[in-house]
Amino acid sequence: MGTLRRPMRSAKMLPNYVVLLLLTVFALGPLVILGFNSLKGTAEIGRNPLGFPRTFVWDNYPEAWRVGNFSTTVQNSGILVLVTVSGVLVLGGMAAYSLAKLNLPGSGPVMLYLLIGSSLPIQLFLVPLFFLWQSLGLVNNLFGLAFIYIAINAPLAIFLLRSYMVQLPADFEDAARIDGASEWKIFTQIVVPLSWPGFLTVGLVVSLAVWNEFLLATVFLTNQENFTVVTSYYNFTSRFSRDWGLTSAAAMMMVLPIIAIFLVLQRRFVEGLTQGGLKG
Amino acid sequence: MTQSTTLVRTDIHEPQLRFWQRVTWRRKVVPWLFVLPILLINLIVVLGPAMAAFYYSLTEWNGIGTPRWIGLDNYRRMLTDDPSFVHAFRNNLLWLVFFLTIPMAMALIAASLLSPLKRGGLTFRLGLFLPYVLPSVVVAAIWRSLLHPDRGIPGKLTEWGVPGFDRALLGDASTVLPTIAFVDNWHFWGFLMVLFLAAMQNIPADLYEAARLDGASKIQEFRDITIPGIRPTLVFMVLMTSIWSFLTFDYIWVLTQGGPAGSSEVLSVLVFKNAFMNLQAGYASAIGLSMSALVGVVIGIFILLRKRGWEI
Amino acid sequence: MALKLAAGGIAVTGISFSPAVHAVAAQDAPSITFWLDITGGSDTAECLIDGVIKEYNDLGGIQVEVTMQANGWTATQTALAGGAGPDIVVTPGPSLSLALGKAGQVLDLSSYATTYAWAESFTPWALDLGKVEDQLVAIPNEIETLVLFYNKTLFEENGWTPPTTIDEMTALAQTISDAGIMPFAHSNAEWKGTNEWFVGEFLNHGAGPEKVYQALTGAIPWTDQAFVDALTVLDTYQQNGWFMGGLDRYYTTPSADATAALAYGEAAMKIEGTWLISDSMTFFTESGMEWEWVPMPSFDGSEIYDIGIGSTYSINANSTQADAAAEFLSAYFSAELQAQMVSHCGSPPAPVTIPADLLTDLDPRQARSIERLNAASAAGDYGYTTWTFWPPATETYLINEIERVWAGELTVTEYLQGIQDSFVAETAAGNVPPIPAR
Repeated sequence: MGTLRRPMRSAKMLPNYVVLLLLTVFALGPLVILGFNSLKGTAEIGRNPLGFPRTFVWDNYPEAWRVGNFSTTVQNSGILVLVTVSGVLVLGGMAAYSLAKLNLPGSGPVMLYLLIGSSLPIQLFLVPLFFLWQSLGLVNNLFGLAFIYIAINAPLAIFLLRSYMVQLPADFEDAARIDGASEWKIFTQIVVPLSWPGFLTVGLVVSLAVWNEFLLATVFLTNQENFTVVTSYYNFTSRFSRDWGLTSAAAMMMVLPIIAIFLVLQRRFVEGLTQGGLKG
Repeated sequence: MTQSTTLVRTDIHEPQLRFWQRVTWRRKVVPWLFVLPILLINLIVVLGPAMAAFYYSLTEWNGIGTPRWIGLDNYRRMLTDDPSFVHAFRNNLLWLVFFLTIPMAMALIAASLLSPLKRGGLTFRLGLFLPYVLPSVVVAAIWRSLLHPDRGIPGKLTEWGVPGFDRALLGDASTVLPTIAFVDNWHFWGFLMVLFLAAMQNIPADLYEAARLDGASKIQEFRDITIPGIRPTLVFMVLMTSIWSFLTFDYIWVLTQGGPAGSSEVLSVLVFKNAFMNLQAGYASAIGLSMSALVGVVIGIFILLRKRGWEI
Repeated sequence: MALKLAAGGIAVTGISFSPAVHAVAAQDAPSITFWLDITGGSDTAECLIDGVIKEYNDLGGIQVEVTMQANGWTATQTALAGGAGPDIVVTPGPSLSLALGKAGQVLDLSSYATTYAWAESFTPWALDLGKVEDQLVAIPNEIETLVLFYNKTLFEENGWTPPTTIDEMTALAQTISDAGIMPFAHSNAEWKGTNEWFVGEFLNHGAGPEKVYQALTGAIPWTDQAFVDALTVLDTYQQNGWFMGGLDRYYTTPSADATAALAYGEAAMKIEGTWLISDSMTFFTESGMEWEWVPMPSFDGSEIYDIGIGSTYSINANSTQADAAAEFLSAYFSAELQAQMVSHCGSPPAPVTIPADLLTDLDPRQARSIERLNAASAAGDYGYTTWTFWPPATETYLINEIERVWAGELTVTEYLQGIQDSFVAETAAGNVPPIPAR
């Protein structure tokens, strides 16, 4: 019986594999075509828009890098990600520590506020926020936008980090407290090292959200020097709409780093996104 | 903070009063010091402007000059005098219907096919989830070229004699909204699938064994074990998807900016256009507030159902 | 912590607005800043910077520092509201400079106009367009018009002749369509404003500029039967699928694809601004076909050019270098520099008189378009483009709602009634740009 069951089970699973394979083709097919097109010249895309390239135009990549001004935009997006992630991890981590370990008086209302704040539509506060930022001279300023990103990504980060820290045993902290360590010291030297997987997850999720963010970046960065990879690509596609090879190469350069990081750290990605119920 | 450390060191010889001051500091003040920075940032960015939006929604304001108080006029105009608001609201509802059915069904089917697999499960999960990590502008660009009426997939379909694809699907008022929803879903459903899969893998395997012994069919297993097993996740995602359906913006903006002839406009697009193109920031705030109200209604319904004893 | 971060943010602003931070020029010459919009492409701007601006700076006087900006207008608007911005403020048209003038964000140039005798060098009506309550707040630049481009090679092969009346154009479009070719290569996928070119052209050429003048000055309503008839013809064109082969394609085809369709003979004609000459005619070099233009046909066959102003120049009210900025503007709008910009960079000329002998190396077809337009504008016998002479909210309505007419949701009469309502409201609010007398 036991030996007979294995092939039986696999055979029974065959329809599952077929359906899943079709769905995977649906999910990955467009990306493969994008990869093909990134290596074609304009003339070939006209004749052969969906297939494998007949001649490889590797030049599309350096050309797209140059025309798309990627050296600047990657730097801008990088700054945004870096500032936002450090802000969220440090400030959000502190808040999570307080909520998880310090028995914050009034923690209920704080949590409720963060919950409500995170479900408010951006469109509600976008308009006044824009005019506030404009009067403060923070429009067209990477740090001005990062400040907004920190505020918006904080609630989720706090919830995730808090749930991580709650599970940590209190022994070490208590020992440190008896030794007279300050809360700051306990936070930085005991709690943070113990919950670093949580910080890594949050860092990844926030990085992805910031790197891909479109609406706020369009509204708050209108000056070409400040364009992020996403906003610059949006303009790039309309400027070079006829040259699909070039725009496809630009798209590939934008997504390859994300895909690479995703494949390496996919477990954390999925974990973070599923725990937070976040939508990009 | 270092000061409090010294206090801790020396306090053994301090009188009781100092001890209680220290305890208050440490128990009441320090926790707040840890929370305050991020709370203040959030108040500046979210709560303050959200309250300002409420005020502006009662004014006529172009975003630059001084707002002029007009009471409820913006709301009156929105509800009685602006066909584009009604139309956009209707589109949000259609969007809701689409996203509560198609991606949910796809994700449930894929997850239930994937969860019993011993081999290749991880590969499939990665492949199906991958589109979710891509930025909206790239997804839009990919599909804009794939949907080209001559050079894209519709061109091929027409060549093979399939009717209905001999046009620019994004340029036709009757097809534009489902087409954008299709593109958004291509990116979105893998995310749902992964969530459902995670929930399904937590269902005890012996439940399925028992059902099989009872001679239950696959459909019965799915209906009687899988769905109840992932119910909390399912309900949560129905809630979130409903909320997102009222907030959707990126894909519509990037693909059509609400066109042609406003046929793919949703509320968020109206807010954007009124605020940043028509210079009617007061009116835009009123629409933005109506979006919050809709989100509030969705959340309210769920809370109500839960109070009524629904297990959600 | 929050306060500290905010302060850090503000401190950084000064650096990020670096275009406004004046570089110290050699020998203490005053230095002024100036943003050029490059949303449509940067070739012209690069040419201006490497050519006329560089030569001007090399003279050793006022140093001009130019920054290229995509979405230049949004960036300008933002900077002005924040009390910053370049010394020379460029807007995409008179209705916007009018708003800046009313808000006091730009200077009154009247005294400079006297000093530099601008009234003599500019076409008479032009400076009127930059006036708010007797203050000159902006100088119009980039005079442009719309014409009917056509694929000459294709026309010759088929024995078609370019139309002079709208009826001829309609008949020809039918012939072309029957031959399996797209009559017009038009699309608005990247620029919604494309809609208004056609609305404006059909209003001016179908009803006549005199009627439009009367409506703009409030003498007759926009619901006049002549306007209804004109826009009904436009609607027929769209319903027949003559623009790009169908409304769906009109809404989704990238503009470069449309121009390429004309150049490769897949489409026969294109109603577009003279800017098309410098922007996109390279497609014809690729295809090996020839292009030509005729005036946009009119109801009675008369030659009508609708005048458009592509941008306006003002001086920032916050500028510390107003005198230097005015001196530069005077040079910038001189016949010599304008001639250079037109000849070498292909930029549309400002409404100043440019002697023909200064225009060298110019494509004869472009030279002819400039010459005809100048003649029409000097004679005061011209039509009105919607983006130059219409108030902003009415223009927005005109662009957005025409799509509802094409979708069959609004009748032409209802659409024009909407324009009328909006126009009346904006007239009352004082938003209508000054209309030069005919």
